[in-house]
Amino acid sequence: MKNKLFKLLALFAMASMVLAACSGDATEAPAEKQKVTILVGFGTGTDPDQVTAQEALAKKFNDSHDNITMEFLIVPNEEATERFLTMVSGGNAPQLVGPHGTSTIARFKEYWEDVTPYIEKDKYDFSDFYGPATTINTYPDLNAGIPLGIYPSFLFYNKDAFDAAGLDYPTHDYADTSWNIDALKETAMKLTLDANDKTPNDADFDPATIKQWGYADTWTDMRGQLTMFGAVDQGRPTTDDYKTATFNAPERLLGAQWIHDGVFKDHFIPDAAGQSAIDSTGADPFGSGQIAIWYSHTWFMSEGLNDLPFEYELAPLFYNQNGERIARIHADMFTMVKSADNKDAAWEVMKWLTDPEQIVDVCKIYGCLPARISTEAAYSDFLKERYPGIDYSVIFKAIDYLDSPHHEGWVPEWGKVNDALNNIQSILYTEPEADVQALLDQGNADLQKILDEYWASH
Amino acid sequence: MAFPSIQKMSLARREELAGYAFVIPWIIGFLVFTIGPMLASLYFSFTKYDIVTPPQWVGLDNYQKAFSGIWDAIRSGDPRQFGDPLFWKSLQVTLYYASLALPLNLIFSMFLAVLLNQKVPGVNVWRTIYFLPSIIAGVAVTLLWVRIFNPRLGILNPFLTNVFGIKSPPQWLGDPEWAVPALVIMSLWSVGGSMIIYLAGLQGVPTDLYDAAKVDGANAWQRFWNVTFPMMTPVIFYNLVLGMISTFQYFTQVYVATSNSLGGLGSPQHSTLFYNVYLYQNAFRYFDMGYASTLAWILFIIVLILTALIFRSSDVWVYYEGQLRGRG
Amino acid sequence: MKKITDYFRWLFNSGRGNELLSKSITTLILASGSILILIPFLFMITTSLKDPAQIRSDSMSMLPRKPKTAEVLGKDEPLYRVIFDGQTQELALIRKMPEGMGQFVEPTQPDIIHELKINDQKQLYRLDIHWENYPEAITAMPFWRYLGNTLIVTFVGMFGMLFSCSLVAYGFSRFRARWLNLLFLLLLSTIMLPSQVRLIPVYILFNKLGWVNSLLPLIIPQFFANAYDVFLLRQFFMTIPLELDDAAKIDGANPLQILMYIILPQARPALVSVGIFHFLYAWNDFYEPLIFLHTRENWTLAVGLQTFDAIYTINTHLIMAVSVLMIVPPILLFFFSQKIFTQGVVFSGIKG
Repeated sequence: MKNKLFKLLALFAMASMVLAACSGDATEAPAEKQKVTILVGFGTGTDPDQVTAQEALAKKFNDSHDNITMEFLIVPNEEATERFLTMVSGGNAPQLVGPHGTSTIARFKEYWEDVTPYIEKDKYDFSDFYGPATTINTYPDLNAGIPLGIYPSFLFYNKDAFDAAGLDYPTHDYADTSWNIDALKETAMKLTLDANDKTPNDADFDPATIKQWGYADTWTDMRGQLTMFGAVDQGRPTTDDYKTATFNAPERLLGAQWIHDGVFKDHFIPDAAGQSAIDSTGADPFGSGQIAIWYSHTWFMSEGLNDLPFEYELAPLFYNQNGERIARIHADMFTMVKSADNKDAAWEVMKWLTDPEQIVDVCKIYGCLPARISTEAAYSDFLKERYPGIDYSVIFKAIDYLDSPHHEGWVPEWGKVNDALNNIQSILYTEPEADVQALLDQGNADLQKILDEYWASH
Repeated sequence: MAFPSIQKMSLARREELAGYAFVIPWIIGFLVFTIGPMLASLYFSFTKYDIVTPPQWVGLDNYQKAFSGIWDAIRSGDPRQFGDPLFWKSLQVTLYYASLALPLNLIFSMFLAVLLNQKVPGVNVWRTIYFLPSIIAGVAVTLLWVRIFNPRLGILNPFLTNVFGIKSPPQWLGDPEWAVPALVIMSLWSVGGSMIIYLAGLQGVPTDLYDAAKVDGANAWQRFWNVTFPMMTPVIFYNLVLGMISTFQYFTQVYVATSNSLGGLGSPQHSTLFYNVYLYQNAFRYFDMGYASTLAWILFIIVLILTALIFRSSDVWVYYEGQLRGRG
Repeated sequence: MKKITDYFRWLFNSGRGNELLSKSITTLILASGSILILIPFLFMITTSLKDPAQIRSDSMSMLPRKPKTAEVLGKDEPLYRVIFDGQTQELALIRKMPEGMGQFVEPTQPDIIHELKINDQKQLYRLDIHWENYPEAITAMPFWRYLGNTLIVTFVGMFGMLFSCSLVAYGFSRFRARWLNLLFLLLLSTIMLPSQVRLIPVYILFNKLGWVNSLLPLIIPQFFANAYDVFLLRQFFMTIPLELDDAAKIDGANPLQILMYIILPQARPALVSVGIFHFLYAWNDFYEPLIFLHTRENWTLAVGLQTFDAIYTINTHLIMAVSVLMIVPPILLFFFSQKIFTQGVVFSGIKG
């Protein structure tokens, strides 16, 4: 018996020694090389084919740089936050994080290094970048990095659905002011069909069996959805000093009411059940064929426009009730982490990734429009090849429009504010009898409470 | 440390030392891996800690925030009077889920275990089938059921309408009233996990007890209630305690099901805002690790008290064949 | 006829009929329950064989299928089974019109257009099984590497767990000592604290030990017992009568010998359950591995599965394919360990 025990213990000891030997990094970079780790996972970049492409990109960099090695650290999106926070508090923060957009940059605002000193040292030239790309992620006290890509927004429309309804396609002319919110509503109502192919204009229309909705603006939070209606602060539900909540501004109220009516009275916008029905199939709303006109950004294009079973085209966003067009825009970049080391090396890597020579390839991996004006022609060719037969001018003209202040921009307690407003959004899309004015007032009160708590201790 | 000669020690003392000796592996592990992080989180609960800056001591502020406004809310009946309404909402959601899931799980898994303990042809196959759902990774299970519960495009509602004639079946995860019941149903699908514990427990019931009961003329139900059930109480106790502990920490499934839906985590309208989900939001979305730790320790106290109560009650209803009498 | 009724009467009188009846009822209940259990699982398998495009546009169907198409004027159009003028034909839908009407043509005669109501016709599908989803899922990630990592973590951990938990559970169940009850409560309390708030301190701890980016944080702690398995084993040990221990003590056995030769053999069903549970837990665990496993080379299967669930695209078909593959080893393990469960334990040695 003692033998058995002994053998067991010996086995245990051996096993742990073997494991200890296998642990840790197998490779050690030579002492002079500075290591730059890029944490990928807050946004796109985690798909298997993207992983391979990023590894090739890292190899290209490492082969051409003697004193810096870079690697992409891929983390699934679900745990990117935890991973980032544990690395930072554990003392081995990644040098760069990205590509990510305004929301992540705003959420983690205190974590980013202000790259203004580096810009001044190198006298870095930003003239080649589209205007919105440089302003969206810049705050008075923080310039978060060099822009990588932008994602203008516009409408995707289902040509087959228009044909079936016997309607003319929407205009592609950005100057045509007749394409406004009322025209959209009229068109969308004609494109909404229930199981018997009746539209909301027909007497025997049955909202419970809708199989195709005319219009949707999904995959955006509450701040985003109300931006187009042109309140004074556009995407930001507070005043400039961030002290007073302005969520229930008249334009937002009008917008929320328009949405609510669109869902429950005129039935051309899907309600929460309809949206989750489509989302939970793992598909995108447009590709499912159930949304005739979908408002989204170019980031949708990289995966969503493959093998569509119908013909589609792009159109400008419609003008709002005040005759303005406020089309949202997103911008992605890599940002530098304040508490990491090797910051100079990180700056070099950041410059390389957004360099005119690399930026198109990098953007192809992540599905963004390169933020450099000089690459527009090269990227156009890529678009023509990848998405033949659509009107590319719609995409590039959309860059002229942006929401400022941005709908994902920083506010105090960003996470709490968004959760509070998104709760309002969920009620807006699930309660047919909701009093929209009261709802927005409640949202405003919740928001004010959060702001007051924040300013009480800052 | 020199041991006094073992022979000189009394039998009882030797037994004590032997007991501690066997428990030592856990004690070492506890001291190395567990106690540090636990005490650290206790410390955090008394601080304001946003992870990027070092923790600042704030004393009982976090605890006060969680419990403030109780009297106002009770007196006025308005939940918005609570200092932190979502804290109470999350407790309510969690208790609601537990009150449904725990008893149902217990009954179903025991019922199944008894059935699967019969000498029916192909019982191995049946057991494997019922065990199958608990083998699948939680994330995949949730994604699967989100699709099944889909009110328009899933397979459950058409099944209910066509087979059972239910005209307008519930919206499940899209309806605040039905979201938690939907999650309960999903958990029942994986009842095979607790089932095999009962199955293992059933193996330990001496067959001569059944024989004696049969001789006394007991029918199947009487045999179950008077022989099987009492002999299984140690295992029932286990499932009850652990079921309660894990139900109160229910998280992954909700996260997968709601993080990308309209309204985000806890949707629709906070009906799936479980305690651990709210805790997670405070820790990793609002960067309020101090308050999150407070919530964690409040839950700890609640679960500790409930567990202690169940332990206390076990003297009444749990029967151990090999229980030690006397001290210890 | 009388012979049949005589037979049934004999069956029930002899008690064997009751047994047959109860077995039949049991089997019936089990069978109907199995169908409910298996349907979602079947859905999972068929989803894993679907074309991603189908998951998007036709997700309600249980079968992997694709619309039957025919080429009309250079384009593939969907085929419908159409009944008109008393005839059944297969026509292609080339254009949708308002009011739910559609233009149907025979593929070979595209000029003759029939305008019919689409909903009245039946769309035709053909079975479209995409076996290649599985090789695609396997090659999309370093599957074999992940499998290897997972097996190491699972089996070494299982060994460590069984070893340590048997010892500790024995201590808690078979000995009288002043502080043991308190220690047991302390043991249980370790699982009462939500793990999210311990994540950062635990990470810092493992970082200081230098174990981050290795499989060690997932394996070593298993050698120091854990609350779930100790609790279960303790419950089982406490169902074993003390008379056996006493008999062995009289024969001069020390506590370790009692554990190894008396207790553990009796507790085999419990040990197998605990082993299986640990296997499953380690097999499917991804939350903490994700934090500790730095580079992709060290990932386990469960972590790799997560990469298919990206922010804009959920590769449902690949997730389901990998999930189906991941079920196979645990199922085999469970199926073949059934023997232990069927061995009833009869305490023949105690009587008299």
